[in-house]
Amino acid sequence: MFAPPEAHPLDMETFHSQISMPYTLTPGRAAGTFLAEMPNRRIVGSRFPDGTVVAPAQDFSSTDGEEPEELVQVPETGELTAFTRVDGNVIGLIRLDGCANDFAHRILADLGDLSVGMRVAAKWDDTDETSIMAISGFVPDADAPVGEVKGLVGPAEPLGVIDYSMSLDYQHSYGPYYGRMFDEIREHGRVMGVRTSSGDDALLPPREVDDVTHKRTGTWKACADTGTIRACSIINMEFFGLTREVPYVYAEVVLDGASTRMIHVIEIDDLETAKKNIKPGTRVRAIWTDGERKGRVSDIERFEVIED
Amino acid sequence: MSLPRTGIIAATQTQLRPAWDSAQHIDLISAVVTDVFKGTGLTLDDVDFIIDSGSDVLDGRSISNCGFLGALGAHHKEEARVEEDGLWAALYGVNKIRSGSASVGLIVAYSKPSESENIDLYWSSMVEPFYQRPVGFGQKAALGIQAQRYLDAHGIGDADLADLVAKRWAAAAQNDRVAIDAGPDAAAVLASGEAAAPLTDLMVSRPVDGAVAILLGTEDIASRLGRSPVIISGMGTSMETHAFSARTAGGLDSVANAAKMAGDRAGWAAAEADVVEISGSSVVGELLALEALGLADAGKGMDAAMSDKVNRSGGALPADPIMATGLVRLGEAYRQLTQAGSGSPSRAIVHGTGGVAMQTNCVFALEV
Repeated sequence: MFAPPEAHPLDMETFHSQISMPYTLTPGRAAGTFLAEMPNRRIVGSRFPDGTVVAPAQDFSSTDGEEPEELVQVPETGELTAFTRVDGNVIGLIRLDGCANDFAHRILADLGDLSVGMRVAAKWDDTDETSIMAISGFVPDADAPVGEVKGLVGPAEPLGVIDYSMSLDYQHSYGPYYGRMFDEIREHGRVMGVRTSSGDDALLPPREVDDVTHKRTGTWKACADTGTIRACSIINMEFFGLTREVPYVYAEVVLDGASTRMIHVIEIDDLETAKKNIKPGTRVRAIWTDGERKGRVSDIERFEVIED
Repeated sequence: MSLPRTGIIAATQTQLRPAWDSAQHIDLISAVVTDVFKGTGLTLDDVDFIIDSGSDVLDGRSISNCGFLGALGAHHKEEARVEEDGLWAALYGVNKIRSGSASVGLIVAYSKPSESENIDLYWSSMVEPFYQRPVGFGQKAALGIQAQRYLDAHGIGDADLADLVAKRWAAAAQNDRVAIDAGPDAAAVLASGEAAAPLTDLMVSRPVDGAVAILLGTEDIASRLGRSPVIISGMGTSMETHAFSARTAGGLDSVANAAKMAGDRAGWAAAEADVVEISGSSVVGELLALEALGLADAGKGMDAAMSDKVNRSGGALPADPIMATGLVRLGEAYRQLTQAGSGSPSRAIVHGTGGVAMQTNCVFALEV
């Protein structure tokens, strides 16, 4: 009886969401120096106390955690040890001359022309970017002389931090319960939940199984768009991901007829009045959008305090 | 003093589908959490703890298990989430029971990779941002290089790989727990697009959505609930270095390590198992895992792979609910050990994996 739903009572599109996070990455001494040396067209490696050299440079051995004794300049020539092609790009492992490990990079050649053991040489891009892509890739070069590892003379200052971002896009399924809830918001401008497994108050958002009892939830019920604040915080600090101007109040509102808290916001004019008027127990009402409802929680623009 | 042994009481799963677009995570989870008790005589009230497994990156929300607690049946219970394949969640659960701190545990793993617009970014998030991501080195490239090396070292052609993939899809098509209309034949495997040369798309495991739940208990409880219990008699886990190029080329050392740990504890080696359920991220990954388990010599994994005791369920190639795949293998092995008609097997080996090019590995030994 609790098999996952095979079909929706109504067809809902998926809900698009994006997680886009800005980072400042710290490459550390080895990778920071490697990247800083890219515009100088020098490939930096690490030499460990046992004489082993690895490239690209690492602050620690990936196999035993040993620290390198110095950064070195490694040759830009080597042998191809393995290769594949992904999305049209040939990616290979290259054993740079004098190194004990393989360097992963693009191979600028047709896959069919490649063989393990062939000599390759770096092809530099015409750029001053501090990126590993300052090397466009490696090209087959049968006559490439065997290079030697050298001391890194006058190393560039390692990069400190690097701005980085990553975006992940999702298409979330609503499922039948969220699906109906958002459909009701869009079509009828009302917030509907399902009754708990044993009471009359509604769970918002609705779901098939009651969180507390893990029994099947009850029938659908329209909640009022008025309710009571049960927790709140005045937001007066700007942070990444803000969706409106500060100050405003983050509020957890129990709609009349519901048993769970709905998270929303209350707009305020000034801090002092808000501190006085907005607190747990304060009665509020939903202010719906004047525009077209889209079937989202944001179709309620905000809540406002019900004046006595 | 010997520790109490732990048995599997029940296992269930949703069907594994390319996209469960009619269901949310909580719909899949509550379905299996409700189902797993049926016929056991136990209820959620008997469960001492819940360990679940999933990925925040795949789920698209951080600490995603917090939003799933109700569906998990974890309200006011001890709950922990493992950000590894579900087989590690089971390992955690077995250790809790063996240590004497609990008697019955519920293990849940779930996956909805269909919700990620670009699943490659999930894998990309695992690789190094300065050296690897910019050049396009990620899961596919690592699996492709692993395969290129394997074929090159052993003189194996891609047609052999295609035969094995077709066999796995055919097996999965017989398994109504996996949604497949008709399995591709070897020619179709070869003709599918290029994932990472020499691997075609169908030679890489297919991400699917689904959820799985396993009920664990002390041997005493498992024995009193009816059927002869399936005992987890050995477990092992091991991890490769993150640096792909520093790993042993042509072998999965961590699978061998994990198999040795599990085998030493169980008292028998993986090669002696009647049922083998393994998680290969690619068809070559499956061969490498079989070789590391000791079922075949290096380069001879194909012989073992074609044996009818290996991945009777179809394995991970036709159905890889990322983060739940190993726990699905545990459920499949449990089924084969307990259900009539599969030749009265008495021992099973289960393998789960995670990370880029199968960096982390976990092995269970089961017996009845």
